Amino acid sequence: METEIIEKIRENLIQGRKSEEDEGIDETLNGTPGVIELTEEALEKGVSPKEIISLAITPGMEAVGEKYDSGEYFIPDMLASAQAAGAAMEILKPHLEKARIASKGRVAVATVKDDIHDIGKNIVVILLKGAGYDVDDLGIDVSTEKIVEEVKTRGIEYLGLSALLTSTMTRMKEVIEALDKAGLKGKVRVLIGGAAVSQEYADEIGADAYCADGFQAISAIGALKQQ
Amino acid sequence: MLIIGENINATRKEVAQAITNRDCGFITELVSRMETAGADYIDVNAGSNHPTSKQKQEAMRWLVGTVQSVSCRPLVIDSDEAGVIEAALDIYSGENLIINSVTAEESRLCTIGGLASGKNAQLIALAMGATGIPDNTRERVENCNKIMQTLYKIGMQPEDVYFDPLVMPVSVDQAQALVTLDTIRAIKKEIPGAKTVMGLSNISFGLPGRKLINRTFLAMAAAAGLDGAILDPLDTRMMSLARAADVLTGKDKWCRRYARSYRQGKLDK
Repeated sequence: METEIIEKIRENLIQGRKSEEDEGIDETLNGTPGVIELTEEALEKGVSPKEIISLAITPGMEAVGEKYDSGEYFIPDMLASAQAAGAAMEILKPHLEKARIASKGRVAVATVKDDIHDIGKNIVVILLKGAGYDVDDLGIDVSTEKIVEEVKTRGIEYLGLSALLTSTMTRMKEVIEALDKAGLKGKVRVLIGGAAVSQEYADEIGADAYCADGFQAISAIGALKQQ
Repeated sequence: MLIIGENINATRKEVAQAITNRDCGFITELVSRMETAGADYIDVNAGSNHPTSKQKQEAMRWLVGTVQSVSCRPLVIDSDEAGVIEAALDIYSGENLIINSVTAEESRLCTIGGLASGKNAQLIALAMGATGIPDNTRERVENCNKIMQTLYKIGMQPEDVYFDPLVMPVSVDQAQALVTLDTIRAIKKEIPGAKTVMGLSNISFGLPGRKLINRTFLAMAAAAGLDGAILDPLDTRMMSLARAADVLTGKDKWCRRYARSYRQGKLDK
């Protein structure tokens, strides 16, 4: 029974069906309960939040990531799944707190000063939330001072920086220098992404990781946690 | 965008012949192809060239039965005779159904509106009065308002009605496409909840390259808020355009139908 509902949550997550009204990738599950309804049902039946996350949500989103990488899924397909995962995490959050299962980590994401691109950043935020992180979205066109301030006051462990323009990517270097100056070196790991930047640039400015997309952000943070 | 497949119509010679010969195979094969192509509703028109009323009704009854034997898609019962519509309703199975069509002409509106109301069917109402097709938006919308007032009296709501803004050839009067588009916007504004639907092909009558005009018109009508189109779903380019237009007008959540059509190789890119 338990495994059946876990399986259903995973299937619906891969189909990108947040709730009963949602259409999936194909039409096979239309009209049946979606991730929200199934997650609630699972909790009622006594399935632990931890099991729901580790056996349904995490592997489900991994499968979505693979399908996206292989070109089978498009951006809206991935976003639909990520939003379903985020909705499940919202339901699980109070239960996790009760069970004292900590979130996987505190993350903040920002598009740097003078850059107003937010689509890529928003995808990263949704995906990281779906992966079980506590994510603060600091917004777009965020000044270096503000970023440092937020990292300090919120106890951020992982900072994602986005820049789409070659004229704004240099702000990333500024942020890393300012974090060092504020004594946050080593306390916060910096990940960068966006059309303007590359692995080479990450190495050059001393960022901890370069991420080509939201799924790479998940795996990069996972790898940094292991270190 | 609701796609109403227009193919099962006795104004098409092959279809008229299939109806006369009671050729089930021809009709069912065509309906299956329309369904696969993505038609949401199937319009059925058994024609008015049968010698007696009884024969017209029998033809419609046969056509509805034949289409429903192969497809679960809901039908649009297309006739201007109440008796023919009644005959179709008699044997119709299923909950969703649209009756096509009425005008502001009071007595037919009451009779056919009553049939629709009794069956919980939706109704296509042409923005046309007793004096014919107005050449301007104002009079067309007045006709729609008048129709709605009558329909309220027999218990119908705007949600039950698809108004047809009427399409006249641009080859004759180049202002006509804009009149239709303005009428769509005005109906949506003045009768909240009501939907709009239209056939496209009349717009290009008398011009070469008609499909190009039809497609462009559909894109513009989608932007104006058109809810449904009566068209040939086997026209891949037209269907592709309708799917893309749904994405661009926010009617396709997560672009699901568009992406599905793409994956199934149904889009003409």
